[in-house]
Amino acid sequence: MDDFEEELRQAFERRPAPPSLKRKLMERRGRQRTERLRGRTVIWQRLAASLVLVAVLGGGLAAWRNREEQRKGEAAREQVLTALRITGQALDHMNAQLAARDHAQE
Amino acid sequence: MAHDWQPDFEQLVDEHQSMVFSLAWRMTGDRGLAEEIAQDVFLELDRHLGKIESPMHALHWLRRVAMSRSADALRRRRVRGVDLWVEIEEKHGMQVVERPSPLGARLEQLLATLPEPQRAALVLRYQEDLTPEEIAATLEAPLATVKSHLQRGLKLLRAKATDHLREYIRAKEQARGV
Repeated sequence: MDDFEEELRQAFERRPAPPSLKRKLMERRGRQRTERLRGRTVIWQRLAASLVLVAVLGGGLAAWRNREEQRKGEAAREQVLTALRITGQALDHMNAQLAARDHAQE
Repeated sequence: MAHDWQPDFEQLVDEHQSMVFSLAWRMTGDRGLAEEIAQDVFLELDRHLGKIESPMHALHWLRRVAMSRSADALRRRRVRGVDLWVEIEEKHGMQVVERPSPLGARLEQLLATLPEPQRAALVLRYQEDLTPEEIAATLEAPLATVKSHLQRGLKLLRAKATDHLREYIRAKEQARGV
């Protein structure tokens, strides 16, 4: 290393940082942390609200499906009963006809 | 990989603020901008603190990010069409700090006139005492390129310093009426 490079080394010594640097830095860090914390709180609040909404909608949907299935079940039962009633009437009618024919043959 | 060392942010700031600030100042030539860059670099360190594995890792990380952020700042200024060094000369008169050697103070001003890659290589070589290999790793540049920047930068700076000394001697002689 020659004299010029030695001169360069001396000229390029580290400069002391301004005394305000650390203070400003710590203030900015504090602000950023508060903002990050606030941001995180808002995210959690939104997430919780979303979960509640999903739970309410899910519960409502389940209740509606339950009611719908009950209604369909009732309707099916009514249809079966009607069919049985019609079948019963037809059988009664046939019995009556058979009885009338038997009676005529005697 | 697990590491035992627990980084202390404030301690890292105390230890390295002078290094980060000096790199940013010498790269940008603007004291206010250098202070802002140093703050940004340390805030970025704060966000990445969990990934820092050792004091040496912190030092290398800070050097690399300080150089990168300084280059970004210079690029932004160029995009805005501002000639940073002309602006700084006008605003701050280069803010020469009292130094024992007048040549030393002048060398800092002359450094500012070098192209950015050469300036970066010289600052890391003579401020941080890094080898060309370490400079290449810090700047993420090929070793041959770094060596070329160092050689050319040194040659240019030497030529400018010689010119400056000649002018200085001539001015002194004229003042003495020689």
